[in-house]
Amino acid sequence: MITRYAAELATAGTTAALGIVTMIGATEYGIGWGKSGPEPGTFPFYTGLIVALASAGIVAQTVVARGKFTTPFLTAAQLRPVLAFSLPIVAFVIASLVLGLYVATALYLLATMVFQAKYRLRVALPIAVAVPIGLYLLLEKAFQVSLLKGPLEGMLGL
Amino acid sequence: MDGIASLLHGFGVALTAYHVMLMVIGVMLGLLVGVLPGLGAPNGVSLLLPLTFTMDPVAAIILLTSTYWGALFGGSTTSILFNIPGEPSSVATTFDGYPMAKQGRATEALSYAFLSAGFGALLGVVLITLLSGWVARFALKFSSPEYFAVYFLAFASFIGLGGASPLKTIVSIGLGFSLAAVGMDSISGSLRLSYGFDSLVPGISFLVAVIGLFGLGELVVTIEEGLKIDGIRARLSLRDVLRTAADMPRHWLALLRSGAIGCWMGITPGGPTAASFMSYGLAKRFSRKGARFGQGEPEGVISPETADHAAGTSAMLPMLALGVPGSATSAVMLGGLMIWGLNPGPMLFIERPDFVWGLIASMYLANVVAVVLVLTTVPMFAAILRTPFAVIGPIIVVVCFVGAYTVASREFDLWLALAFGVVGYIFKKLDYPIAPMVLAMVIGDKAEDAFRQSLIMSKGSPAIFWANPLVTTLMSLGLLLLLWPLIARLVAVARRPIP
Repeated sequence: MITRYAAELATAGTTAALGIVTMIGATEYGIGWGKSGPEPGTFPFYTGLIVALASAGIVAQTVVARGKFTTPFLTAAQLRPVLAFSLPIVAFVIASLVLGLYVATALYLLATMVFQAKYRLRVALPIAVAVPIGLYLLLEKAFQVSLLKGPLEGMLGL
Repeated sequence: MDGIASLLHGFGVALTAYHVMLMVIGVMLGLLVGVLPGLGAPNGVSLLLPLTFTMDPVAAIILLTSTYWGALFGGSTTSILFNIPGEPSSVATTFDGYPMAKQGRATEALSYAFLSAGFGALLGVVLITLLSGWVARFALKFSSPEYFAVYFLAFASFIGLGGASPLKTIVSIGLGFSLAAVGMDSISGSLRLSYGFDSLVPGISFLVAVIGLFGLGELVVTIEEGLKIDGIRARLSLRDVLRTAADMPRHWLALLRSGAIGCWMGITPGGPTAASFMSYGLAKRFSRKGARFGQGEPEGVISPETADHAAGTSAMLPMLALGVPGSATSAVMLGGLMIWGLNPGPMLFIERPDFVWGLIASMYLANVVAVVLVLTTVPMFAAILRTPFAVIGPIIVVVCFVGAYTVASREFDLWLALAFGVVGYIFKKLDYPIAPMVLAMVIGDKAEDAFRQSLIMSKGSPAIFWANPLVTTLMSLGLLLLLWPLIARLVAVARRPIP
């Protein structure tokens, strides 16, 4: 189980780090007064500083009121469905980059429906094929918006 | 009243067969988006926006705003029938709407919700019609320091009045500004904060951020809470609707009070969600039937619904007249305006009156279209929610990633959407407000430009932000709101009796 306390600290720590990274990145472009007014890094430098300071404030608040944050952030029982939902999404993104969005969509829908929701193939397959075809007709035909394509579309000459 | 004349001209622009068709499509898409868990108004508008890049701006904004109205209505439907708020702003509707539906009064609850929502929206549009021209004329006097002060005021009111932890709101805003700074600097042209990654050079799109933050993040939260769909069937008959409509005037006080709260919260960036909760809370406290709230009291449906829609509509006023959006969805639309090559703010009223007044007129029409459509299609949309989440969930995921890709046809945006999904999930669970971050991403560059130009005007002296009565008032109000959480705490400590 992850406690709310740990999650609060980890998140505030991460945002503080992002703030500092922004500040460091901003110094590259100058944070002072240049020939044409404030240099390009000035504004991001201060927004980074604000993020870092506010995050530090959250850390302080959390540590001081530690007793208030003992509730769970994520229990073991919740972790399973969350991972079962999110890991296939990561696989879907990777598949999209390799096979294109249409093919990845079909595979992703088929896999989640058959392996997770235990649908029969003859129910799942038509849905998994119909969705990308519908998307293709809507985007490429109706709106002339081109989607990420892979080797299969190349073979089909689309 | 030049407002009325302009409005009539606007009706001339909006009332074409093509535009009415777009309203119908927009409202239907909005209803769908509002009904589906994980997809909401900001998300629906972000997903549609890339498809409008090639459209005429008037047609495009009509499509997007109609989607917005549809989403607001769709959210209420699921709140009442399923006890699942389709939108954060319709959470308060579940308190009395679902109990009513459980008592077999679903039709009544839905009719109350839609009719009061329509009334709230109407109030919002009337307000826009009457005030926008005046606000825009007033804002024409603004130069860079005043603009920066208005932006400052907008963000300060999020911190002071937003209801979330002030420090978390500040982090959210600051991150939004930092993300907006990535890529090309609009004044010097130099490439900032790319850290040597080519993928970061074009900047980070707020659309991809919205899709991840609101769409993917919300879906995971839904999964985690374990979606139990226990719906109540409803069929709306015209007779029931008319009977409820005849009963509406009895609730005039609740309608007006909630409408006023909604308009106020929409213009100041409190947003529809805060407006609906506040309205419900006040109604519970001041209504004669307050004690029966939570057990299926019509006023408990009317109050949040009126305020929700009044706020959603009136949030368009500061967006149009000042270029400062009042809600996450209007922030996305503001971004759309800039993408279509329009310059939101007072000059828009002079340069593109057809656009501004066409939009305002379309808001009257589209809300009528929305009320009619929502009353006739409720059973159909309720059926969609009965399809198992195992099918709908992954399809929503696909739509989100397809939407993220269509923004700029960049593979990197798929990863970005995923990353923002993680951020959205964590922020939602830890009560970091997300809307201020989106606002900061959209108007980040404009706020920065205003800040830098002000300093250039004053040769580096920050005294320019207190140089005249107008900018002083705005900045002081902003500071007051910014420090409000601190002031409130000090007052509470001072009032505490000394033991």
